[in-house]
Amino acid sequence: MIIGKEFIKGLYKENPVFRLMLGLCPVLAVSNSVNNALGMGAATIFVLLCSNGVVSLIRNFIPSKIRIPIFIMIIATFVTIVKLVMAAFFPDLSKSLGLFISLIVVNCIILGRAEAYSSKNRVFLSIIDGLGMGIGFTLALIIIATFREILGNGSWLGMELFGPNFKPVLLMILSPGAFLTIGFVIGFLNWFEHRRHIKH
Amino acid sequence: MKDILRFGAILTIVALVASGALAWVNKITRPIILYQQEMAFKSGLYAVLPGSDNGVIEPVLEDGQTIYYRGYGDTLKTRFLGYAFSTLAKGYSSKIQTLIGMDSSGAIISIKILFQEETPGLGTKCEEIRSGETIPWWQAQFAGKKINGVSVDKDGGQIESITGATITSRAITDGITDRAATMIAKIGITLNNSF
Repeated sequence: MIIGKEFIKGLYKENPVFRLMLGLCPVLAVSNSVNNALGMGAATIFVLLCSNGVVSLIRNFIPSKIRIPIFIMIIATFVTIVKLVMAAFFPDLSKSLGLFISLIVVNCIILGRAEAYSSKNRVFLSIIDGLGMGIGFTLALIIIATFREILGNGSWLGMELFGPNFKPVLLMILSPGAFLTIGFVIGFLNWFEHRRHIKH
Repeated sequence: MKDILRFGAILTIVALVASGALAWVNKITRPIILYQQEMAFKSGLYAVLPGSDNGVIEPVLEDGQTIYYRGYGDTLKTRFLGYAFSTLAKGYSSKIQTLIGMDSSGAIISIKILFQEETPGLGTKCEEIRSGETIPWWQAQFAGKKINGVSVDKDGGQIESITGATITSRAITDGITDRAATMIAKIGITLNNSF
């Protein structure tokens, strides 16, 4: 079923972070805690759904030569809406994520899907694609954040997992930890795929 | 030529629709955001005047504007805690709003930075809370210092400036000192120089 296929691909086969290697900047920056990862993921999914939907809706009226400024205007509008809504209803999350939400505008996943998919496909499928990619992005964020938060802070989603004697690996919470984790996860997934293809 | 006109028209239409949508969302969220800021200010006042949440915080007005606050530990206003006022300093990349709680002898009780948008990882360290602690370490060093005697170590003072964020540190510290000078005059405190 086409709908299922368009959705599932964003989760694993064409995962925007681990396969398409898009949006790595916010992934590295916001994956230091699972709470931040969820907030960022939710905001990105919302923007992705809206921008994919709108771009697809007006795709026949966008001249190719000015498509990039139009995409950016659409994306920036939705990101600003997310920022305003967050500042009003989720002030604590807004304080910790505020700067990175603004960066969603230049998140390559959103611009990438607008260019590669929603400017060329029907609205419904574009929204499904956005949903799959957004959830795939959020899953990637959660996986990396899980490693970084457990090893670097001894907690998961803020819940302390180990006793007071646990010495966290501070490096994991800082930038090097982000690079190391994402490197290992991508390496593992590549190895896993390689083994799968050998068996067949 | 015809293309340029067409492109211009399409871009204008997109821009108009986008701005319209944003103006509408802004209209709805603005009162709520203002309310959030008021709440943050109020809880900031309780933080820089510990004990005032059980008592009363009284604004002192001049020409219809609140210039500072008086805090009491009880609702009958018998236990005076101190004064509170805010300053707006020009930081490195943003205006930094700080609340200061001061006792009647001119010593800082505590400060709380309410708003800043300094460089992430550098200037933002002014609000960083180390794991296991409850208040930002950089702001904690202001407690107990004489209100007109705070300056960063680079200017010969006692406040340790944030590594890589001297401008931010200096802006906040100098902002406190500048505002304090006006406030002390208005409140009418004579500073005891034997600290």
